[in-house]
Amino acid sequence: MTADRFVRSTRKYGAIALVSARRALAERSVLAGRALFLGVIVFIFSRVWETVLGQGPQAIPGAGKRELIWYLAVTEWCLLSVPHLFLAIEADVRSGDIACRLVRPVSYLGTQIAEALGETGLRLLVLGPTGAAVAFWMAGGFPEDPRGLLLALPLGALASVLAVLSTAAIGLSAFWIVDTSPVYWIWQKLVFVLGGLLLPLELYPDWLRTLARCSPFPAMLWGPGRMAFGFAPEAALVTLLELLAWGVGIGVGLAWLSRSARARLTVSGG
Amino acid sequence: MAPAIELENLRKTFRVTERAHGLAGSLRALFVRRTREVVAVDDLSFAIAPGERVAFVGPNGAGKSTTLKILSGILQPTAGRVRVLGLEPGRERTRLAYRIGAVFGQRSQLWSHLPAADTFDLLARIYELEPAEYRRRRDDLVASFEIAQVVEKPVRQLSLGERMRCELVASLLHRPEILFLDEPTIGLDVVAKATIRDLLRERGRLDGCTILLTSHDTGDMESVCERVLVIHHGRLLLDRSLATLRRGFIAKKRVSVVTEEVELRVDLPGVRRLPSASHRTELEVDLDVIGVDRVVAAIVAGARVLDLSVEDPPMEEIVSAIYAGAARSVSRA
Amino acid sequence: MSRLAGTLRFARALVAMNLRSSLALRGAFWLQASFMALNNAAFFSVWWLLFERFPEIGGWRLLDVLTLFGVVASGYGASIVLAGGVRDLGRAIHDGELDSCLVQPKPVLLHRLASHTIASGWGDMASGAVMLGLAGALEPASLAATGLAVASSACVFTASGVLLQSLSFWIDGMETFARQISEFTLVFSTYPRPLFSGGVSVLLYTVVPAGFVGFLPAELVRAPSLALAAAALAASLGWTLLAIFVFERGLVRYASGNRIGARS
Repeated sequence: MTADRFVRSTRKYGAIALVSARRALAERSVLAGRALFLGVIVFIFSRVWETVLGQGPQAIPGAGKRELIWYLAVTEWCLLSVPHLFLAIEADVRSGDIACRLVRPVSYLGTQIAEALGETGLRLLVLGPTGAAVAFWMAGGFPEDPRGLLLALPLGALASVLAVLSTAAIGLSAFWIVDTSPVYWIWQKLVFVLGGLLLPLELYPDWLRTLARCSPFPAMLWGPGRMAFGFAPEAALVTLLELLAWGVGIGVGLAWLSRSARARLTVSGG
Repeated sequence: MAPAIELENLRKTFRVTERAHGLAGSLRALFVRRTREVVAVDDLSFAIAPGERVAFVGPNGAGKSTTLKILSGILQPTAGRVRVLGLEPGRERTRLAYRIGAVFGQRSQLWSHLPAADTFDLLARIYELEPAEYRRRRDDLVASFEIAQVVEKPVRQLSLGERMRCELVASLLHRPEILFLDEPTIGLDVVAKATIRDLLRERGRLDGCTILLTSHDTGDMESVCERVLVIHHGRLLLDRSLATLRRGFIAKKRVSVVTEEVELRVDLPGVRRLPSASHRTELEVDLDVIGVDRVVAAIVAGARVLDLSVEDPPMEEIVSAIYAGAARSVSRA
Repeated sequence: MSRLAGTLRFARALVAMNLRSSLALRGAFWLQASFMALNNAAFFSVWWLLFERFPEIGGWRLLDVLTLFGVVASGYGASIVLAGGVRDLGRAIHDGELDSCLVQPKPVLLHRLASHTIASGWGDMASGAVMLGLAGALEPASLAATGLAVASSACVFTASGVLLQSLSFWIDGMETFARQISEFTLVFSTYPRPLFSGGVSVLLYTVVPAGFVGFLPAELVRAPSLALAAAALAASLGWTLLAIFVFERGLVRYASGNRIGARS
């Protein structure tokens, strides 16, 4: 019984995701904008690494300028593929539309997440080659051991899923605070800093690295990113397990949040 | 006296670029721009004297809003002569702006998070009003528009009717000589509409300002204005006073009777029964066939009448008839 | 002369109105301002980490980047607080929202720009001030140069935004593109100048004026000189005049009513 329902749900949400992807494809300017932004960031930071390292010693054992550029390309690829789901949910909460749709919370949230994942999937497909091309150009080639990049692909995709779930949670916070953008900014900065968006965690002071490892963020960015440093299946496995564990955690948190949101709705009446 | 508004052979055309369809179209559009000319106003001429209250009536796309925008200086005419208060709106927009007011029904100039009173103060700065004079004028308007309670609340908390009253006060603060109103009662309920119309009429009378009103709602026209300009396909169809319009266009009267009997039967030539309710009968009398006096006499003789009224048909019908007549003449031409 | 005085009074009234409007939603104001300040601090911390490892980047030190950040944050914050209407200028043009400004006797651009304010800008200005203070730019001796630098940065950022958004008078759908370029301007302006050379730096003084928003004002603060001050002034004036010119040309086209696609 449940297996059959599961299959049907998957098919339904899959269809929603596909429609969303198609719609995102039609919005070419937005897509192009993101691709351009990715290119710009990789360009700028490769200039930084070029200037800093140049002919000098390697900042991280096993990682030279090339690897660091590819690292950034991977982390930015993950992050830029995530749409602003929190804005869509915030708009629904503000307009009150959500009142009708949240009666069955799984449906509403499921739909929203499915849509966001559809868009994310498309962006991953478009931004991947873009990032790779710019990185290849700026770095002057592939990293030392390009096999690592293959491992980065599934990890990065999974990381984006986690990010989408997080933005869904941020969106739900609209039930308590009117404007969720500030919450998003802070989450985003935590991802930047603790997740090692621009600088791999190896470059951090020990205390910060330890602190970061207690959070889900390194698994999202540094985990997939460091695959650029070399072929490390054990490290990949660790990241995979971390992502799954944190994923479950965020999922549980999301479920709890939506239940509280529903309760709040019945109390305050929308 | 010099006319407040003067239009001579006004013509306004737009060049509209065709939107490209599909990939082939988009590519072609890079090299060749396909444009077509749309005539919004075609050879319009009329004059409005100071203090007149004029309605500008016509269906969608007739050119009403375009004309209004040309008169207020927002759009430039393609050809023809336009003078508003002796000034050319296209060239002397800023000078004219001090002397005119405008209310666009669908757009607000009130700041939504703040009370209307704050916007009023800002407008005093915009029109460079002398502070004491401004305060007197503001208080006078607030009192006559009855928005004293409402004026200190954030605008977004107000109902549409309240907002429109604030909007009107805002447009009158600087004592404009001409007030342009574009769909001022759109979206309002019946009561709010009536209130706004009464206030406009009063103000026009008190301040002596010229009012030019465009509307789909012929009720606006009936309540506020004395003169009607009917525009269709960018041309002036008709320029009459309201009374003449009614008299000249439809020789029909509406008779409403409330009787003790559930149903009233009137079998007279030239009398047509309209959809009625129980105890209340609506009749249309064709004055070319029979006089109203005979119809009334017949009704009173044949039933126990509790209430009876004789009215002109609604303006909607008159205007529709005008458009129909115009359509006929266009199709014949 | 009296017209200028009237316009200035109007501008002041608009700014006051803006402030009142953002304070009307007090909770949102504090949330936006404080979180934006935190946001900037967090972003800067990445640079701090980088400089922990590498004491010098292209001749720049942490203090230099701090100054740069301080100037850009303050300038950007000032821009979006005082002229928050830049962001949706393109959309307003497209939707015909300039009509109500046109019917009133005050400059349309000024009216439109100053009619909106973005509360997070206060957070930017606050964090900018802190950074400048830490960099020693708020000493009485440096105050004039710093003030000019921040004003210049704000000016060029606003003007370039107006210029891009004004293209909406002629081209459909410019809003997204204009916003992208503004975003890039901001991004580029927070990176040390020595990183970029040749063709890119030409770009950074023209299409994406990061050089005028970030580098030039920051130099003025770091090593004040009359030449730099004159350059900053010239840049501000030049960009502002260009923006106003393009906007006014656009208004003429707006007044012709000719537009792309069908419109009621």
